[in-house]
Parts: sequence; C-alpha cells; structure tokens
Amino acid sequence: MSKNILITGVSQGLGLAIARAVLAAGWNVHGVSRRLSAEFAALQRGHAGRAHFHAFDLGRVDAVKAELCEPFLPLALPLHGFVNNAAVAYDDLVANLDAARLRAMYEVNVFTPMLITKHVIRQMLLKQVAGSIVHISSISVHTGYKGLAMYASTKGALEAFSKSTAREWGERGIRSNCVVAGFMDTAMSAGLTAEQREKIHRRTALQRATSPDSVAATVVHLLGDGAASITGQNLFVDSGTI
Amino acid sequence: MHSDLLRLIDEVRANKKQPPASGVTRATRLREELGFASLDLAELTVRIEERFGVDVFADGLVQTVGELDDKITRAGKK
Ligand SMILES: NC(=O)c1ccc[n+]([C@@H]2O[C@H](COP(=O)([O-])OP(=O)(O)OC[C@H]3O[C@@H](n4cnc5c(N)ncnc54)[C@H](OP(=O)(O)O)[C@@H]3O)[C@@H](O)[C@H]2O)c1
Repeated sequence: MSKNILITGVSQGLGLAIARAVLAAGWNVHGVSRRLSAEFAALQRGHAGRAHFHAFDLGRVDAVKAELCEPFLPLALPLHGFVNNAAVAYDDLVANLDAARLRAMYEVNVFTPMLITKHVIRQMLLKQVAGSIVHISSISVHTGYKGLAMYASTKGALEAFSKSTAREWGERGIRSNCVVAGFMDTAMSAGLTAEQREKIHRRTALQRATSPDSVAATVVHLLGDGAASITGQNLFVDSGTI
Repeated sequence: MHSDLLRLIDEVRANKKQPPASGVTRATRLREELGFASLDLAELTVRIEERFGVDVFADGLVQTVGELDDKITRAGKK
C-alpha cells in the first residue's frame, strides 16, 4: 500500500536523504522547508506527482494550523507517517546563553513539531490510520558536548515527548520513535574544524562520521509495517559511540 | 439537535465495535452513558471539526451531547 509521509527540512542534508529513501520505498512525500532546493525539485521531476513541496518557516508557531496544516495537509488527507527532521543548532557556552536565540530554536525544534504532531494524530484518528511518527534526535543528548547544551536540550525534549506519545496513542496503533543520529557531514556541522571532526570520530566504534543514508534507511524502516511492534524507542544510528 | 452529530457519535462507537447509541438526548453524558474514554473523545472532536469546522474541546471540558450541540450551533452563527 502506498503511504503519505510528511517530512520537514527536505531542502538539504538528512531530510533530503530521507525524502529520497521514502520515494524509493514507493511512498509519497509531503516535504516542508523554507526554500525549495534544486535537489528536492529534481526529486519532484523524477517522481511525478509523488513529491509535494510546501514552503513554510517552522519558526512561525502561531501560523502552523492556518498556513501549513489547513492548506497543505487537510484532515481529509490520510497521513501514514511524520518525520520531524528540520532543526537548527544554536551553539554556545551556557555562560553566554541568550534568551531570544534559545526561544527561536525551541520554536523550530520543539514547539512547531509538537503542534504538527497534534495535527498528524488528529488526521490519523479521522482516517483510522495506524501511523508512525519519527523524531530525529542527536547523540549529543546522551553523551553531552561542550557548546551543545541548549541544542541537546531541544532533542531531549523530543525524546521525552515521543515516549509519552507512544504510550498515549499505542491503543490506536499509532507509534512514535526517535532516531538518535551521530555526527553527520552536513551544513549543520560545517563549522567544525578537521581536528574537531577527528576527535568526534575517535569517540565512535566505526571511527567515522554517521552516514545520512544509514539514518534515512532506519527512518524508512520505522515508517514501514516491518516496524509494527516498535514504539517508544530511541534507535541509535551513530557509528557506535563509545 | 444536529442529526450529523448523532451519526458522528455512532462512527466513533463503530470503531470500538459498539452498536449505534440508542435513546440519545441532549442530557446524555458522553463519558458515563456513551462510555467514551479520553481517546474516543479526541476522535469525536476531530470528526466534529471535519464536519462542522469547530474544535469543540478547544475551550474546556464538555460533559453532555447538548453541550456539543450548542457549540456547533454557536460556531455556525459566527
Ligand atoms: N549534522 C549532524 O551532525 C547531526 C547530528 C545529529 C542530529 N542531527 C539532526 O539531523 C536533522 C537534520 O539536520 P541536517 O544535518 O540535515 O541539517 P541541515 O543540513 O542544516 O538541514 C536542516 C533542514 O531543516 C530546514 N529548516 C531549518 N530551519 C527551518 C525553518 N525555520 N523552517 C523550515 N525548515 C527549516 C532546512 O531547510 P531551509 O533552510 O530551506 O528552511 C534544512 O532542510 C536535524 O534534526 C539535526 O538536529 C544532525
């Protein structure tokens, strides 16, 4: 059966890799990010009618219902999966914490994804879909990194939210899981020096960066019927952090 | 009473493998008499929102079928 999968942050990086993997699985993508990238547009051309794009700034918490959900994801559209991938990283020392930047990050990483989850669950209830929700978390939640305390806290919030979502909606067959990604070579981590990368790699069993394709394949597995008995879990795809 | 409201109540009951509700009046209590648990009420809310465009639980708890009916009527007049 074909599925409709909502994915945020599809313009580049991991989100683009997830969109590609979901299309390869034969399912339809509803992709969200601020801009339509050349790469996602190419996916659209390659999969006529199966890759939809909705431009939206996830920092606009109060516009989620009226400007994202109602126009693009009407209640009548059966949604089978939601991948909460888009995020921003505000990195700094706790001693320098700036409230406005913290709030802006929480809006994109936590508040809007929670509101979208509300909408997605309502759609699943209406259409009686036993759907799957997947949040992209980060290994920084579990190991701790200097400079990432604020960012890691947003991902920790998602892990807690996912666990209780799973408990709350399991009765209706709705599942929720997190994929805990290790360090990946994407725009988000472009600011790191070669030395910093080396250090991070040395802290993993595989001694290398995490592959976005491996994370994407795990997400596809969690979205699929093969994962029907997996819920409330954190799956680590992180090159084996030690 | 809005006749579609009764239909939506029965849709939720059907999903729980329960027969259509009989003898429903405005005074019928959603939890105690219709046996709706919190997840069932959430499902009913969405069905009402899709049909009437109003989120009936947005501003507090609702106890009876009549209260739901009034909220639908009020939303229709806006
Ligand atoms: N890179 C890593 O090492 C690493 C490690 C662990 C976990 N993660 C997680 O993996 C996920 C993907 O990150 P990535 O590495 O692929 O980062 P990325 O290359 O920076 O991509 C982020 C995506 O999110 C979108 N986005 C950001 N802000 C947005 C907003 N306000 N509204 C709408 N879309 C927005 C971006 O699209 P637009 O700019 O077009 O809006 C982009 O598509 C994130 O959840 C991240 O926290 C990353």
